[in-house]
Amino acid sequence: MAASDTDVERRREAPSRRRTTRDRRSSGPGGVGRRWLPYGLLAVPLAVYATFVLYPLATTVRLSFYEWDGLTTPTFNGLTNYLDLVRDDTFIGALVHNGAFLIFYTVVPVALALLLTVLLTQEGTVRGLGVYRVGLFVPQVMPMVVVGVVWRWMYSPVDGAINELLGLVGVDPIPFLGDASTALPAVGLVASWVQYGFAMVLFMAGVQSIDRTLYDAASVDGAGQWAKFRYVTLPGLRGPIVVATTVSMIAALRVFDLVFVMTRGGPARRTTVVAFEIYQRAFQLREVGGAAAAATVLVVLILVLSRFVLRFQEEDA
Amino acid sequence: MKRHPRLRITMLAPLLVVGLLVTACLPSGSEDEQASGGQTGDTTATGGASEAAADEPDELVVWDIYVRGTERDVAEQLTAQFEDEHGVTVTREPKSLDDLKATLPLAMGQADGPDVASVNQGRADMGAIVKAGGLMDLTEFGREQGWFDVWGENLLARNMFDENGEQFGTGNLYGVAPQAEIVGWFYNKDMFDTYGLTPPATFDELEQMLATLKDNGETPITFGNVDAWPAIHTYGAIEHTFVDTSYLNDLIFGTGDVAFDTEQNAQAADVLQRWADEGYFTKNFSGISYDDSWAQFAAGEGALLLTGSWIAGELDPDTVGFFLTPGDSEGSLPPQTGGMGVPLAVSADTEAPNLAKEYVAWMTSEQAAESWVEAWLPSQTPTEDAVADNPLMTDLVSSWQEVLDQDQLGHYLDWASPTFYDALTAQLQELLADRTDPQAFVTALEADYAESSQR
Repeated sequence: MAASDTDVERRREAPSRRRTTRDRRSSGPGGVGRRWLPYGLLAVPLAVYATFVLYPLATTVRLSFYEWDGLTTPTFNGLTNYLDLVRDDTFIGALVHNGAFLIFYTVVPVALALLLTVLLTQEGTVRGLGVYRVGLFVPQVMPMVVVGVVWRWMYSPVDGAINELLGLVGVDPIPFLGDASTALPAVGLVASWVQYGFAMVLFMAGVQSIDRTLYDAASVDGAGQWAKFRYVTLPGLRGPIVVATTVSMIAALRVFDLVFVMTRGGPARRTTVVAFEIYQRAFQLREVGGAAAAATVLVVLILVLSRFVLRFQEEDA
Repeated sequence: MKRHPRLRITMLAPLLVVGLLVTACLPSGSEDEQASGGQTGDTTATGGASEAAADEPDELVVWDIYVRGTERDVAEQLTAQFEDEHGVTVTREPKSLDDLKATLPLAMGQADGPDVASVNQGRADMGAIVKAGGLMDLTEFGREQGWFDVWGENLLARNMFDENGEQFGTGNLYGVAPQAEIVGWFYNKDMFDTYGLTPPATFDELEQMLATLKDNGETPITFGNVDAWPAIHTYGAIEHTFVDTSYLNDLIFGTGDVAFDTEQNAQAADVLQRWADEGYFTKNFSGISYDDSWAQFAAGEGALLLTGSWIAGELDPDTVGFFLTPGDSEGSLPPQTGGMGVPLAVSADTEAPNLAKEYVAWMTSEQAAESWVEAWLPSQTPTEDAVADNPLMTDLVSSWQEVLDQDQLGHYLDWASPTFYDALTAQLQELLADRTDPQAFVTALEADYAESSQR
């Protein structure tokens, strides 16, 4: 098969090469324009990126060194905003909660998705892939606000679906979102529910691209199910795992919507997160400088952790 | 600040990309443009036909918060009446309170901003805009309109700041609202009949009533606190029976040398904790939302609902009654949490200052109250005829009038400082979950109060 394909390609290539030569000749000194064309094409997205990402980012960092109420003239106050953050127990608590959300957003979904992928696939083949793709992706497609509102209903001690189910087996209603010991896990599990489908879709697609001959070779070498998973499936999924981890980790660090809709950071600040603290400062307390400092901390945190995770992918390449 | 539960749904709106949250409003350099137009001495127009100066534009732009059902209809109808009477065009742009809180500070005092707007009370909103020179002083106009006689200094103080926007509760008047808010006890008349109960005359009677209801297997107080702010009203109602209005004014406005860790505030915390321990509140209240709790009460579950007058429209006016928190002895009225709704204020830079002031006066007039009462408790007292077919509103109107007459208007405690809402709600959740004791509760709150009042 290889021979005939190459022939066709050669035949196709020939005229295009000719055309290229003619183009070059006819354009003459205009070759300069050609060289600049890529930059010209890049200019538009770059301008958009600079205007809507880089400039706001730079402004946020700059504002973090000012005291500003959002209205009057900002006054420079050096590192005060950052020092205030370090001394603020609520902010430190928010960071800790973000750390806990890393487990619910990243560890649980990735592990669960990996397990399900292995269970649902047979040496690189997925049966009924389309059904899973659609079914698992639904939580991802739903706006987080809708997810939050719906789960808040389900968690309610008054006619909430979860407490109704527990009632069937004789468990008294539990105020999941109101109790200090259950609120954070309750919100976290919703995040896991949303994220595992996304990870799973990635993994299923990844499994498809693993060369099946590797499984055959492993069988010949006498590998069992575990060895096949450990030495064929897992390395083959490295790329998707890194992507799933990075994306869900960023989601865990900047989580706002779920917390805002479900608990407002309560009870007694036990579910507050950095993004919620940013919102509080900027729009409730009108401490824009402090909010900018918190936002800067969050951005740095995301960059550092992403860099750390992405190193695993680079090792691969 | 936190008393518009029904607008809360619309708070989903600001779920913007977090990274851009802060940068959405950048400093544009010179923000110090001073209030220029405005107070140019022409203070004649009252009521009737348009005396609004001929050299003014005949157009007004109004940003208000009347977005829902009946209140929107009433606002439209009253605005149309105003347009006819003055031969002008008023463009209303209704927004949710939270939208308005986010956009108004930058728009107020700008050329293309509104002439009249609903400006939320408190340091973070009205105070900040006054500081930036965005609002017109309405003190003189208010005196001519008789606002100080109708509502009294104590109530209007909530809409006052000094001209620098620094000192809350004194100085210039920056707005008045058509809506009144009073926090008290809605009660289930059928259940009261069943157990032979009547609205209590003293606080002791109230507590006995709660015990009676509990003994009979009823839920005495329908309550849900997953949203955290409802407990402010519950604690506030109890706390107000231990203190007087001058303490409350000092605490909220930061005027006198008062503290939060007082014997009285600790006693009130003790009462609240005891009520929770006795099971006077809905079971599992910590996980129940405010909306679910009033819906339960509206459905006939629970004898009492302690909340603000704003919920009246959701309740059956014939089977639900209302009474104020009673005091130590019969006939004594302790301070009652309440105030005005979100006030209408005038932009410092409006080109039609007289027309704008007339509009505020009209929307908050006694005549307008006859229409507003269809939607909620108006700040001016409507005639008895206007509420004759609504026994619940009759209770509310007379309660509001009684509070004004006796000058016993208390405060939303979360106004004490910009950070106090957060601190108070968190501490109340701890208190209600038995994770702190009354003394530790007031000590923690005093720490927050002292820290933020030094700023």
